[in-house]
Amino acid sequence: MIRHLFKLIWNRKKSNFLLISEIFFSFLVLFGVLSFALYNYHNYRQPLGFTHDNVWQVWINPNTDSTAQNLAVQEQLLQRVRSFPEVAHASLASSNTPFSFNTMNGDLTYEKGKEVETHNFEVQDEFKDVLGLQLSQGRWFGPQDNSSLHPAIVINQKLKGDLFGSEDPLGKKVSANDSTHYTVIGVVNHFRPASEYAAEEGAFFGRINLSKDNKYVWTGLLIKVKPGTGVAFEEKMVKEISAIAKGWSIEVTTLEKMRQSKAKMTLVPLVAMAVVCGFLVFNVALGLFGVLWYNINKRTSEIGLRRAMGATTRQIRTQFVGEVLVMATFGLLLGLLLAVQFPLLQVFQLSPAIYWQGIGTAAVLIFLLVALCALYPSQQASRIQPAVALHEE
Amino acid sequence: MIQLQDIEKVYRTKTIETVALNRVNLLVERGEFVSIMGPSGCGKSTLLNIMGLLDEPTSGYVAIDGKPVKTHSDRQLAKLRNEKIGFVFQSYHLIHDLSVVDNVELPLLYRPVSAGERRKSALEALEKVGLSTRTKHFPSQLSGGQRQRVAIARALAGNPEIILADEPTGNLDSVMGNEIMDILLRLNQEEGTTIVMVTHDEHMALKTNRLIRFFDGQQVADSMVIEAQI
Ligand SMILES: Nc1ncnc2c1ncn2[C@@H]1O[C@H](COP(=O)(O)OP(=O)(O)O)[C@@H](O)[C@H]1O
Ligand SMILES: [Mg+2]
Repeated sequence: MIRHLFKLIWNRKKSNFLLISEIFFSFLVLFGVLSFALYNYHNYRQPLGFTHDNVWQVWINPNTDSTAQNLAVQEQLLQRVRSFPEVAHASLASSNTPFSFNTMNGDLTYEKGKEVETHNFEVQDEFKDVLGLQLSQGRWFGPQDNSSLHPAIVINQKLKGDLFGSEDPLGKKVSANDSTHYTVIGVVNHFRPASEYAAEEGAFFGRINLSKDNKYVWTGLLIKVKPGTGVAFEEKMVKEISAIAKGWSIEVTTLEKMRQSKAKMTLVPLVAMAVVCGFLVFNVALGLFGVLWYNINKRTSEIGLRRAMGATTRQIRTQFVGEVLVMATFGLLLGLLLAVQFPLLQVFQLSPAIYWQGIGTAAVLIFLLVALCALYPSQQASRIQPAVALHEE
Repeated sequence: MIQLQDIEKVYRTKTIETVALNRVNLLVERGEFVSIMGPSGCGKSTLLNIMGLLDEPTSGYVAIDGKPVKTHSDRQLAKLRNEKIGFVFQSYHLIHDLSVVDNVELPLLYRPVSAGERRKSALEALEKVGLSTRTKHFPSQLSGGQRQRVAIARALAGNPEIILADEPTGNLDSVMGNEIMDILLRLNQEEGTTIVMVTHDEHMALKTNRLIRFFDGQQVADSMVIEAQI
């Protein structure tokens, strides 16, 4: 019977072409959207490497260029913040704090190896406690780094893999493009600050030492407040530090709010894509249903003939559903030919597993959709009375 | 072989009620070649459809080989149509997108036989109707007479005990019609196949054993042709 279906479909390839190409395109679109969604979901499931509850982001900006004075104000401001009983930890940081829209990247090289792209985070010693970073190797910054010849850095696992492979990174020297040399003193488990939906990228922390040739005003002040601290304290704190840093702009938000707005950046386009894709698939389903309905109506005399030749109602139904499934398989195979290029050629640097999952899910969905669309018309086809069907010619 | 008793068939639409068959009684014996004549619309096709289990009578009794079919399930009816009965229609009813031999294989598709056996039986059937050289053609490439021969081959492929032919020569000129008639006669005489044929052609009807005339859903005559010819 399968062979018979193949013959029928092959001989009707012209009229089946539309159906097959519809399935082909739907599959590709579904595959694309699903791969993208799966990619985000997969990232979402990975650890961030830090905890952001009760962490506030204080943006401080002097608005003037008088460096020496600003540096002094910065230190005073920090001391005041730390002295509040509500503040558990506080750390100055470069502006690329977690969930912010800022980035700072550069390249690092280990020995004669290749340059590795990485994100650079400048932080104070308390940063680890503000965000609850976990070290898997070595140590975090401490006073002993004040006198080190090459500045100490702490790297994340991803960068460790990229730079050193399976080698032990501790004590190794790496260089940046500006020929600064750094010594690796520790490795944190994970650090994925860009977004919950972004893949982990190489990252390293440099140490801010205010007592030793600090040249910058660090705009990203992060503080960990004690649980239950609320708006009242925020107002009080802003008032007091504004008194110290006159003329500076000071803005307070929470990492939770920043997380939400960062998440929207991913979720809004994803939902939009899903809606468009859903609409498209719905249209294809309608089209499919229409084409099947039309084809089956055009084939009533064939149905009557087959019944006369001894086909049961069930065999008629099976034949029509079978034909559509065979066509869906054709469409899918064509789509597959294209889709497998993505994992094979590593397009877009998604992991192949995600592409395979996308392919599998899209294929299953297409089959379900097609079977659903085929079921009712085929059911109707099998109900046609043979005498009536043969009469219509 | 086929027994019809008190068959009535009424078609009801919203506005009209058509009595297509009115108290028809008929017994077709094994090996007979029966022809049915009558004006258009008198219920001949309806009768043939009921004999072929393609349609159910409104009331009355139908039996095949002495067994009533009223209580048969869809599967049992399909099996009877598949194994016992071969159909030939005025408009051939070939599937355009299948080659000649694939069309002929159709009844065997609904039987548990291998592809090889299907092909073999189909080719044998085409041999019997003299179309061995046209097996790969498509119906559109054949003349009307050839198409009807394909349809007969298709009926034969299933090796049925009875062939029901509804105006098999109705669309053909007399030369091609005679060819078809010769094939049917040979089948009846040499292989003992029972045949019931609807026709408008008196000549053809006179070549059969038994002639039934219909008028307005009723039999008006049923005679042995041999007697009639004497
Ligand atoms: N499906 C149907 N619905 C309604 N009336 C029908 C149907 N099939 C046949 N008839 C009517 O039944 C009568 C007998 O039709 P039919 O058996 O086809 O006649 P014949 O084959 O002798 O020309 C006709 O009047 C026809 O119009
Ligand atoms: Mg008729």
